[in-house]
Amino acid sequence: MDLNLDAPHSMGTTIIGVTYDGGVVLGADSRTSTGMYVANRASDKITQLTDNVYLCRSGSAADTQIISDYVRYFLDQHTIQLGQPATVKVAANLIRLLSYQNKNMLQAGMIVGGWDKYVGGQIYSVPLGGTILQQPFSIGGSGSSYLYGFMDQSWKEGMSKDEAEKLVVKAVSLAIARDGASGGVVRTVTINSEGVERKFYPGDSLPLWHEELASVNSLLDLLPEPMST
Amino acid sequence: MSKATVELPPKAGFNFDLCRRNDMLTKNGVHAPSFLKTGTTIVGLVFEDGVVLGADTRATEGPIVADKNCEKIHYMAPNIYCCGAGTAADTENVTDMISSQLLLHRYATGRESRVVTALTLLKTHLFGYQGHVSAALVLGGVDITGPHLHTIYPHGSTDTLPFATMGSGSLAAMAIFESKYREGLTDFYIYILYLCQSIARDEGVKLVTEAICSGIFNDLGSGSNVDVCVITKGKVEYLRNHQKPNPRTYISSKGFSFLKGQTEVLSTKVTLLEKPQQEEGVDKMEE
Amino acid sequence: MGSRWSPYDNNGGTCVAIAGSDYCVIAADTRMSTGYSILTRDYSKICKLADKAVMASSGFQADVRALQKNLAAKHLTYQHQHNKQMSCPAMAHLLSNTLYYKRFFPYYSFNVLGGLDNEGKGCVYTYDAVGSYERVGYSTQGSGSSLIMPVLDNQLKSPSPLLLPAKDAVTPLSESDAVDLVKDVFASATERDIYTGDAVEIVVINAGGIRRESIDLRKD
Repeated sequence: MDLNLDAPHSMGTTIIGVTYDGGVVLGADSRTSTGMYVANRASDKITQLTDNVYLCRSGSAADTQIISDYVRYFLDQHTIQLGQPATVKVAANLIRLLSYQNKNMLQAGMIVGGWDKYVGGQIYSVPLGGTILQQPFSIGGSGSSYLYGFMDQSWKEGMSKDEAEKLVVKAVSLAIARDGASGGVVRTVTINSEGVERKFYPGDSLPLWHEELASVNSLLDLLPEPMST
Repeated sequence: MSKATVELPPKAGFNFDLCRRNDMLTKNGVHAPSFLKTGTTIVGLVFEDGVVLGADTRATEGPIVADKNCEKIHYMAPNIYCCGAGTAADTENVTDMISSQLLLHRYATGRESRVVTALTLLKTHLFGYQGHVSAALVLGGVDITGPHLHTIYPHGSTDTLPFATMGSGSLAAMAIFESKYREGLTDFYIYILYLCQSIARDEGVKLVTEAICSGIFNDLGSGSNVDVCVITKGKVEYLRNHQKPNPRTYISSKGFSFLKGQTEVLSTKVTLLEKPQQEEGVDKMEE
Repeated sequence: MGSRWSPYDNNGGTCVAIAGSDYCVIAADTRMSTGYSILTRDYSKICKLADKAVMASSGFQADVRALQKNLAAKHLTYQHQHNKQMSCPAMAHLLSNTLYYKRFFPYYSFNVLGGLDNEGKGCVYTYDAVGSYERVGYSTQGSGSSLIMPVLDNQLKSPSPLLLPAKDAVTPLSESDAVDLVKDVFASATERDIYTGDAVEIVVINAGGIRRESIDLRKD
């Protein structure tokens, strides 16, 4: 078996960001793999940039971590100079700037989501080459290819916070069911005028989709009892 | 690495042209000297009021055991230690360099080092070398904010985990952690801790030892003894050779004598060196 | 990107054989591995080919098994035709021919053959993968051979093949001393070779027949 443990850490991921009436919901799975080995089954791919802006990361773990470290640093300085919270647009543009200027050295696809008092909830997608796109909802990572049709059908303008959260969890669990590089738990971050709320959905609490098997604590439970001598 | 990442020359950071040249030479059959690798099992886990780090003690060079009892748990700061896997020189030097940066930082701030500081210094260093410095680390320590455990990969990515394994024996060790680690090591024992302070610690040391042993026996890159390091608030116990599960199995009762002259001398010829002629008549340079 | 599939693997392991004046010791460890993984800790690399010919083989054990079956079939035919067991020197030559027959798709096996010759003296034959062979007083093959060979050279001292008249290749040690030496060199090789370990199986052939014994080695 070739596990390819020397491969750089990458997040074959499912990430998602949706806007709703009053804010945004970000969602992600929790699997980080090196080749075939799951190096971390409970990673947090939704990183905080400021009090009101969060970032969903996909691609190389090292690259996206260093980008978010830099942008968090820039935004902290910016917040102090401005004397008020940075806008989502500024945060997204900093992500874009680093992504675009170093595109030859980076493997990073990211979704920026947040809330500010000027525009409200916003989602910006910053895919591989350093493009920036403001979208009502955005999906990313290897698992996203299973979600385009579903999202086109399910996302509605003017959803409630509850509806948006349900949609995000459903979408990520659908992708986990089909995409081998996504898995573990579902994490969500909801940002609105009231602040930020993090939620965590364990893998065994997620709905089972077509022909999916329920997770078991230990494979040993499936085996017959060992014979006593 | 994708094709796009090598087409354009980078405008900042280090220059990796020589690395590409070395790859080209290897492809053409010119091989660089091999390095000492620590085909390793290193682990760490968090318990109620501290962290336990563990490592095996085998260093290999290809199929040969180069060191049967090396130290893989490196000192970072009085309250932080770091297990290293990968190229021995890289793990040793990276931990030493960051350790001295932490010391200077303590002199400048007059405060105890934090684990996140060590983490950030290590990851930015490794990221700069784009994976060419092959150090895979398990970093653990206790600071003002409590116990922390992190893994750091050669490319500079980091994870924060309640239990972690690294090195060629990481799968064998993780099998033990995944089947036997309980949140109880942190939560369940909280109320028992009031009754008996040392249970969680001993439980943690036992589990770490078992994970390392799993690597020692099932991974050929790992072997010999178990080193353990327990870090709690204001206290470090470095248990060097905590367990020695691999004694030599047989020693000849008679012992050996290695006699000189075991190679047949077929013929002998002695040639005397001529005495070199003294050169004369050359004036010495004077000042 | 992935490297091409290979029909060969290396399962590691070490073999030693020592010939004495009236005995022969053949030994091999019982670890079988691939890469950094142990496949089994209890695999015999030693095969009895005839009453007075025993082969120990390291390398790729699938090829070794194929080679053993091939030799067993040929030996059966030989017994039907001649109504006797093959002698060790004859088996040695048969092994060489069998290996060379696959010159351009070799058996990836590194063998030592030990036994008693027609005069009852111990004999050891050592091979490469394509059938080059030589009768020697002692030999070692496999992953730990480079660690063991210099010790055997020092302790057993083969007479130089350049000396004339040719001297006998058998070692001066007694049978029990030879077995003791084998145990020690395996314990030593296990200390430094990651592919050698778990246990060593020792086969002794003398006028009385074949005897087997084994001792434990490090399991890391």
